[in-house]
Amino acid sequence: MALHVPKAPGFAQMLKDGAKHYSGLEEAVYRNITACKELAQTTRTAYGPNGMNKMVINHLEKLLVTNDAATILRELEVQHPAAKMLVMASTMQEDEIGEGTNFVMVFAGALLEQGEDLLRMGLSVSEVIEGYEMACKKAVEILPDCVSSSATNMGDINVATAMIRTAVMSKQYGNEDFLANLIAEACVSIYTGSGSFNVDNVRTCKILGSGLHASSVLHGMVFKKEVEGDVTTVKEAKIAVFSSPFDCMVTETKGTVLIKNADELMSFSKGEEDMMEAHVKAIADTGVNVVVTGGKVADMALHYANKYNLMVVRLNSKWDLRRLCKTVGAVALPRVTAPTPEEMGRCDSVYLSEVGDTQVVVFKHEKEEGAIATVVIRGSTDNRMDDIERAVADGVNTFKALVRDARLLPGGGATEIELAKQITSYGESCPGLEQYAIKKFAEAFEIVPRALAENSGVKGNEIISKLYASHHEGNRNMGIDIEAEGAAVTDMVKAGIQDPFVVKHWGIKLATNAAITVLRVDQIIMAKPAGGPKAPQGKKDWDEDD
Amino acid sequence: MMQPQVIVLKEGTDTSQGVPQLVSNINACQVISEAVRTTLGPRGMDKLVVDNRGKATISNDGATILKLLDVVHPAAKTLVDIARSQDAEVGDGTTSVTLLAAEFLKQLKPYVEEGLHPQTIIRAFRTATHLAVKKIKEVAVTVKKDDKQEQRELLVKCASTALNSKLIAGQKEFFSEMVVEAVMSLDLLLPLKMIGIKKVQGGALEDSQLVAGVAFKKTFSYAGFEMQPKRYDNPRIALLNVELELKAEKDNAEVRVKNVEDYQAIVDAEWNILYDKLDKICKSGAKVVLSKLPIGDVATQYFADRDLFCAGRVQEEDLKRTMMACGGSIQTSVGSLTDDVLGLCELFEEVQVGGERYNFFKGCPKARTCTIILRGGAEQFMEETERSLHDAIMIVRRSIKNDSVVAGGGAIEMELSKYLRDYSRTIPGKQQLLIGAYAKALEIIPRQLCDNAGFDATNILNKLRAKHAQGGMWYGVDVNNEDIADNFVACVWEPAIVRINALTAASEAACLILSVDETIKNPRSGGEGPPGAGRGRGRGRPHAH
Repeated sequence: MALHVPKAPGFAQMLKDGAKHYSGLEEAVYRNITACKELAQTTRTAYGPNGMNKMVINHLEKLLVTNDAATILRELEVQHPAAKMLVMASTMQEDEIGEGTNFVMVFAGALLEQGEDLLRMGLSVSEVIEGYEMACKKAVEILPDCVSSSATNMGDINVATAMIRTAVMSKQYGNEDFLANLIAEACVSIYTGSGSFNVDNVRTCKILGSGLHASSVLHGMVFKKEVEGDVTTVKEAKIAVFSSPFDCMVTETKGTVLIKNADELMSFSKGEEDMMEAHVKAIADTGVNVVVTGGKVADMALHYANKYNLMVVRLNSKWDLRRLCKTVGAVALPRVTAPTPEEMGRCDSVYLSEVGDTQVVVFKHEKEEGAIATVVIRGSTDNRMDDIERAVADGVNTFKALVRDARLLPGGGATEIELAKQITSYGESCPGLEQYAIKKFAEAFEIVPRALAENSGVKGNEIISKLYASHHEGNRNMGIDIEAEGAAVTDMVKAGIQDPFVVKHWGIKLATNAAITVLRVDQIIMAKPAGGPKAPQGKKDWDEDD
Repeated sequence: MMQPQVIVLKEGTDTSQGVPQLVSNINACQVISEAVRTTLGPRGMDKLVVDNRGKATISNDGATILKLLDVVHPAAKTLVDIARSQDAEVGDGTTSVTLLAAEFLKQLKPYVEEGLHPQTIIRAFRTATHLAVKKIKEVAVTVKKDDKQEQRELLVKCASTALNSKLIAGQKEFFSEMVVEAVMSLDLLLPLKMIGIKKVQGGALEDSQLVAGVAFKKTFSYAGFEMQPKRYDNPRIALLNVELELKAEKDNAEVRVKNVEDYQAIVDAEWNILYDKLDKICKSGAKVVLSKLPIGDVATQYFADRDLFCAGRVQEEDLKRTMMACGGSIQTSVGSLTDDVLGLCELFEEVQVGGERYNFFKGCPKARTCTIILRGGAEQFMEETERSLHDAIMIVRRSIKNDSVVAGGGAIEMELSKYLRDYSRTIPGKQQLLIGAYAKALEIIPRQLCDNAGFDATNILNKLRAKHAQGGMWYGVDVNNEDIADNFVACVWEPAIVRINALTAASEAACLILSVDETIKNPRSGGEGPPGAGRGRGRGRPHAH
């Protein structure tokens, strides 16, 4: 503790030694704001198509190169309690929409920055909060008016590509057309036309080598595994899934077989073989031709599987196994028994294929329900493939968001400036002190075009003034043109840069909530961190998408 | 009031940001490429790398060296990754890819320092790569596949170009023939695993041989082995995964006996089980018995008495390859040794190779596999030979799948450089400079070839530039005469795919490194982090100062 913060007498004495207590504007609110601002600053340079990547080395020494705000924040291990609020808001956005996480961070950061000004001006915290709440309500009201168009025919691959393009652009600028097309192909191929779309049905599989442009879409599930036995292709597959090793000899409890006389010894080995054969034969007799197991495959079992023409695939990850079960409609059996017809999974074909130099097993399934598509990502480094994977995930989430709500807003800062314009005029019509807060809320929206401009190497003020000018002329779709050399504005709808409505809608709501929560804190009381051994860290990524 | 510093992140977290960070990343990549720079080309030097366990490796394969270097710098790791990717995708050209990526970054450094936005650079580079790849595809020469003879010649040329830069360049004719022969014997999928490479110390490199079929070192043998015949014509081969020993039962069985007779019966039973198995094998008509698991004394003698050969503890991959070559399938029980599960070959024999005895299976009916037996002096030397052959095999496999070739020796790079430079003059703006830089960076390959050969690089490059400007598009460095030559005529050929992949990977890596402006390093968890730093969750110490 370099600087001792004097504590108010009285309150501190009530607490245990070592506990800390801060209160008031200076000690609590401003500091919280500073912390949040600092965090937002980090992600701000990653915002937009021209945003820079961050190289993050997490506590497991894994290297990530990304400009995905949710990923950066997850790996950063933010410690500051107030800054954590922002992280939570952004996580919520990730869970809710799966996209626009950086928007939440940047906007919440801007709101807090403006809030600090208001507080220093002499407004009380509650006035600021009230103003923000009113402004947020107004913004959500105005938002539907800004809708530029709506995606009507998501089943059309060209429409879908155009929609996804914007989301992919902010992650993989320069490759957006190729990737968007790929994602659209994957999404459209499994989209049934009804209202529901499950993000889990678009999978990714990363294979090292070649370049991004060698990526492709395969219909079905793809696993980076080789088949165990001799059978490599099965049509009209009936699949038995076992979560146990494919071996009937292993008992859970340790026991020994007691042999009393010579005959038993003689028949022991024979019996073992017969039993195995009977088991495998029983499975084969039910019509199953593919066996998927979560554990080891015994030599003996494999021998008979080959004999009865069963294809054997081993999947090490329980997660993979579960996903496969879901896709093919199988029930994972805990022990090796013949499955009933209901427990069996079905798919069109299962085959071994080669992508680059890696052998993959493909479970192809083209029926309407539970269809699945896999985007095979190629790339020269692991980090790059990880980053592409995140871009794909964002694209797929955009598709899902649009399936739910087809409305679109112009991107590139156009919506934000329109909101800022309208909220400012709304603010002027309010009589109370909230007026200041509402106007500042409007000003906070400027951060979006500003960040976009600054990341592209253009002066922020110049572009914002241009935007305001053109919006006052009634061109509500004008946004910043990042392709241009200098500061320029262009029609976002014509340029095909549009964001889903829900992303902005939730982004504004969550960011405002987070900012208000941070502002509302006026006292921090911290108990002394308990000594002793380190608390066990929950292994939180055991079931993460891999 | 003085505003104390606010700690947002965990203590010990290291953040660095901005252009200096970018430049330092570029510098780190430069250092890495220095390590492999001198290994490029026929006159490249080898590196001796000693790892932390004291094992010495001599190599001039970029990927091998980088792997052994154990790089920790996050940006530099990217270069190691692309070398690995090149290795996985095409198998050769790992040094070139590292060199290219580092050179791209080097050429860009001044622009970054001047404050050009990295995204502009990245955009230009993507365009340039796209154009370059298109150009390669355009100029690559396709060799007809129908003509077996012509295809074979092409493959031999590609293999010898790959071997040119290796330790065994002196014997490249010998080895390129051998490699092509080996790959040609495989089936359509060309599985790499089906080419076995065995190393036997002693003898000269030229004593190395290719066996059309399977060969493996004689396994550990038990008593009775001497009596077995060592040569069979047209034997049937049983491939087993069965332990042929007395105590071959499952180990979770326990025997409890009540009296002496029972005990004797148990002992007898054990013998009976074994004899029963052996009898079944004999009756099946197999002459050669191979097993993944041990074959004991009793079994060995039993087989010797009945004119059978046996080998236990055969490596799994050898057994698999035998299966691929001779047919049949690996049996886990001896219950059903029918004819269709037995393999067949024309000749089995055991032969002395150097100081070792080897089992050969020749004249196999399926013969979709082959074995290369390498001879040579030092162990490191043979290991390097193996790596070189691996590269050559990969190149040949690639050339079979993609039958277009370009001239090596820096020729294609010079041509691309010229093409991009011409292109850059037609466009305005910053892109012109950047694509020009890309073109310049491509010249690193011929330049390094010259440097490594001890030539005056500036002189040779001038000649090359002049020649390419006049339309001699396959002119490259001639390392033998310290001059330039038409490398297409000189038969220095490389599959186009190698170059395409190298360019794509190198520019992807360069773009990746350029796009990073901040490194955030968390302290390693579980390690000796700063004392008292954040225990548990959500209980950080925000105002620690």
